[in-house]
Amino acid sequence: MRSTFMGLETSKRGLYTQQSALYTTGHNIGNVNTPGYTRQRVNMQATSGFPGIGINAGTMPGFLGTGVETGSIQRIRDSFVDHQFRSESTKLGYWESRTNAIAQMEDAIGEPSEYGLQQSMSDFWQSLQTLASSPENGGARAVVVERGVAVADSFNYIYKSISEVKGNLGDEIDFSAKDINSLLTQIGELNKQIANVEPNGYLPNDLYDARDGLLDQLSSYLPIETSYEKSGGRASAIAEGTVTIKIKTNVPGKTITVVEKDQVAELTVDGNDPNQPFPNLMTGFTFTGGPIQNPADGKLSVNEMVKSGELKSLVDSYGYIDSDGKEKGLYPEMMTKLDKMANEFAKAFNAVHEEGTDLAGVKGEPFFVLPAGATEFSASNIAVNDAIRKDPNKLAASDAKTGAEVGNGQNAKKLGDVFFAKLPGLDGSSVQSYYAQTIGQLGVEGQQALNMTESSGVLLLAVSNRRASISSVSLDEEMTDMIRFQQAYNASARMITVMDETLDKIINGMGTVGR
Amino acid sequence: MRVTQSMLSQNMLRNLSSSYNNMGKLQEQLNTGKKVNRPSDDPVVVMKGMGYGMQVNKVEQYQKNMGEVNNWLDSSDDALDGVGQVLHRMKELATNAANTGTMGENERKAIETEMNQLREHVRDLANTKVGDKHIFSGNMTDQPLFNKDTGKFEDGKSFSANVEIEVFDGINLRVSTDVNKMFKEIDDMFGEVEGMIATGEGFSGLITSIDSKLDTVLSKRADIGARSNRAELMKNRLEMQEGAAKKQRSQNEDVNFEKTITDLITAESIHRATLSVGARIMQPSLMDFLR
Repeated sequence: MRSTFMGLETSKRGLYTQQSALYTTGHNIGNVNTPGYTRQRVNMQATSGFPGIGINAGTMPGFLGTGVETGSIQRIRDSFVDHQFRSESTKLGYWESRTNAIAQMEDAIGEPSEYGLQQSMSDFWQSLQTLASSPENGGARAVVVERGVAVADSFNYIYKSISEVKGNLGDEIDFSAKDINSLLTQIGELNKQIANVEPNGYLPNDLYDARDGLLDQLSSYLPIETSYEKSGGRASAIAEGTVTIKIKTNVPGKTITVVEKDQVAELTVDGNDPNQPFPNLMTGFTFTGGPIQNPADGKLSVNEMVKSGELKSLVDSYGYIDSDGKEKGLYPEMMTKLDKMANEFAKAFNAVHEEGTDLAGVKGEPFFVLPAGATEFSASNIAVNDAIRKDPNKLAASDAKTGAEVGNGQNAKKLGDVFFAKLPGLDGSSVQSYYAQTIGQLGVEGQQALNMTESSGVLLLAVSNRRASISSVSLDEEMTDMIRFQQAYNASARMITVMDETLDKIINGMGTVGR
Repeated sequence: MRVTQSMLSQNMLRNLSSSYNNMGKLQEQLNTGKKVNRPSDDPVVVMKGMGYGMQVNKVEQYQKNMGEVNNWLDSSDDALDGVGQVLHRMKELATNAANTGTMGENERKAIETEMNQLREHVRDLANTKVGDKHIFSGNMTDQPLFNKDTGKFEDGKSFSANVEIEVFDGINLRVSTDVNKMFKEIDDMFGEVEGMIATGEGFSGLITSIDSKLDTVLSKRADIGARSNRAELMKNRLEMQEGAAKKQRSQNEDVNFEKTITDLITAESIHRATLSVGARIMQPSLMDFLR
């Protein structure tokens, strides 16, 4: 036998459920601009009908519906698109960071321009030519010395700027490691909270959102692989469970598990000299603690790193010690090239200069000098001989074998030729063409990085749009829902009025015969 | 596909920033007049540009050197012209003296005075200076060819060394003229004249000697003339080279203004369209139509 007030109860459930749906709509609208927010949907389901199933169930000719209830409130999300998004984001992370590193190097070198190394070398050559035709002219001599100083200064300046940027990149690696650690800790913390809530049958949607946001961030640093583990208890079928994060490596079959439930590993940067503070010559990374039982499992050498993600890109730019003990990377290699160029140029120039004789008929001193203790010239130490700076008459412009020939500029001419002489130390290139090649190569790498950034950016945008298409809030849709739920709410309320009128009939209108 | 406001606004922002980016690049190109401003803009252009730039600088420097060459050759020619004039005057004097037969004391004195002046002038011409350089002193440009202290012409090896100036890659022009011997012989001739005047000897023998010296001067001037011609040719060639190098550099890296401005206008209209389309799409929502 159904209860008298069953209709009221049914309509009340309708009110509550439509109200929940309206609240969720409000939540969606409120979060329309929240980054990382996933729209939520109330899964409504009909409540079990009357009579219920069982031995004591009454018999009646029909099966009466009892209304609606909120089954669950679910995030609308596609984990496959998430996976795609993260893998594209890792690629973009690599190329964006590389583009940035190359752009900074281009800025430091400053070619093409009116004040770069190329221009100062060109000016130096011109001054030597002028000296060759007017070797007796004190002005021409002074200009040569100053232009020589300008060349040395350009080398020093470029080297210093590049080292500074390199230092910044080192700091950035350090900062990234800290950021990665913080992300891992936060994900572990969320895993813990989620594992506490889910067994009670709840769906902590906003915790999922927060965790997905953190995973997105982590994926721009490192190539990750995620899997999920169900929570026990009365966990809902659509509960996501805790996430397990593994870092992909180049070694087949090897991954590094960095997060498992609330267990979190910590990342540290490895240098080849433990006594030196980072940033210094780096060799790789180590993950310790958390899910990593065996310390050897947490080792990630640079060679094992997948060429993806911002961290690897920073390492590639900053430089690292390869397994063969050599320092590699964009910045160290450029510095090596500049050093080589400065060394070969200074040596060749000095050799010619020492062949000549100065204004007093004395054999030339070295034009470029090394600081005490150094054996090789480098871009950072190349400098013009102080004796010559103080007395430009010491410039060996003449090629006279004996005595002083003031009007002899033959050696100055030969000094000018050094710029275009093929030097064995520069693989048979001249200083001029070696530098142009170096700049050209940097340009090619920069262009490649730009193109890759562009294309991975486009891909990421496409994936991101697809994700938004699934998960982001549409105001029009929410407004429609709002009307829908409001109408349903109103109709349920009207049902209660109808019930009220029916009951009024029973209670106040019946049994009054004859009155 | 389901499309939401956030997607629209994100796409719109992205489109706007990319069209700003585009316009920024074009603006930079128009401001600098260069197609490329960093190696990654176009590595090939930058690499070639460095070569062309050096080429242009080289040609400019060689043109400066060429100025020095002309300076040197013109001054040498002027000086030798002076020597020729001296010899002509000497010949006049000798001819006059030879025609009048015996000379009186006064006439001889007058000739002697003039001859002495001419000799001084020749010595001065031998020490011709251009700027700081004695142009007839070979590599010893700081020292005069005629040493007033010793009263002799310098004849060291360095004094007769060739001076060359580079006017193109590996091409050197000799700018010095080997005149030590000539000046010494002319000076010696003046010495002989002094003796002749003292002894009253006739001048008829002197005329042939002067003629042979004039020949020498002429042949030296012819040599200078020939080198000036070569310098002239070289100058033309350098001008051509300058034009070619600058043209190559310009074609390589300079902005084509018509094209770039057209591109800018196109980019600007795309940007305007993006803005107005964005404004139209972002505005309406169901909200506007609900009570």
